Amino acid sequence: MTSLRSTRRTEAVDLPVLLTAHPLSVAHAMRTLEVEGAGGVVLFAGRVRPGRTRAGRVVALDYEVHRAPALARLQELERDSRRRFRARQVVLWHRVGRLGVGEVSVIVGVATPHRAEAFAAARYLIEELKSVVPIWKTERARPGRRPRRRPSRRAGR
Amino acid sequence: MARTSPTVRVLLFASARQAVGRSSLDWPVPSSGVLAEELVRRLGAEFPKLKPTLRTSRFVRNGRYLGNGRTLVRPGDEFAVHPPYGGG
Repeated sequence: MTSLRSTRRTEAVDLPVLLTAHPLSVAHAMRTLEVEGAGGVVLFAGRVRPGRTRAGRVVALDYEVHRAPALARLQELERDSRRRFRARQVVLWHRVGRLGVGEVSVIVGVATPHRAEAFAAARYLIEELKSVVPIWKTERARPGRRPRRRPSRRAGR
Repeated sequence: MARTSPTVRVLLFASARQAVGRSSLDWPVPSSGVLAEELVRRLGAEFPKLKPTLRTSRFVRNGRYLGNGRTLVRPGDEFAVHPPYGGG
């Protein structure tokens, strides 16, 4: 950790765990994972995909988080991956707030000595993150072309 | 002189918040506290729309997940209702 922090970084985050309202950078995550002794790096980025709901076309997702337990769970996952997969460095970054279609909502990255562990760890981490970290998303939709008479009501709340 | 009655701060997320229409409640409890399962039962009775969500939720008292409903929740505690997660 200390060697990571002391090298070349100018941006604020090279932390393994992060919950932020600011856009996530895949390039920055990749730099954070460039550590000595790691021959395999797997990086997964989840993006807001377009879709439809009964309310119309999805234009954004609102992510909310219960921050303290979420951070604790993310830190547990980080420790877990270091132990189980010999991870040398981990990135578990999640964005919160309103995200438009195409924006990156989550980055899970792992650097391990060999590729097999890196793939296994990344898969493990994203699945665990989705099931044990208190983060929720709500779809924001815009009515489609056939706006049924709904004078001044907007989709959602 | 009316005294302020002891309360628990109930935090509501996602579908729980939508069911109640608020993100938090100051919920009156006896000064000796209340069992988590009883608190949940009372919340369901007060907010019928919340009931289905409560059945699938996890509960967090002062940042710690509850293993069962026998935990005592005391005045001043924070008690969070966590519907199923949906990050990623």
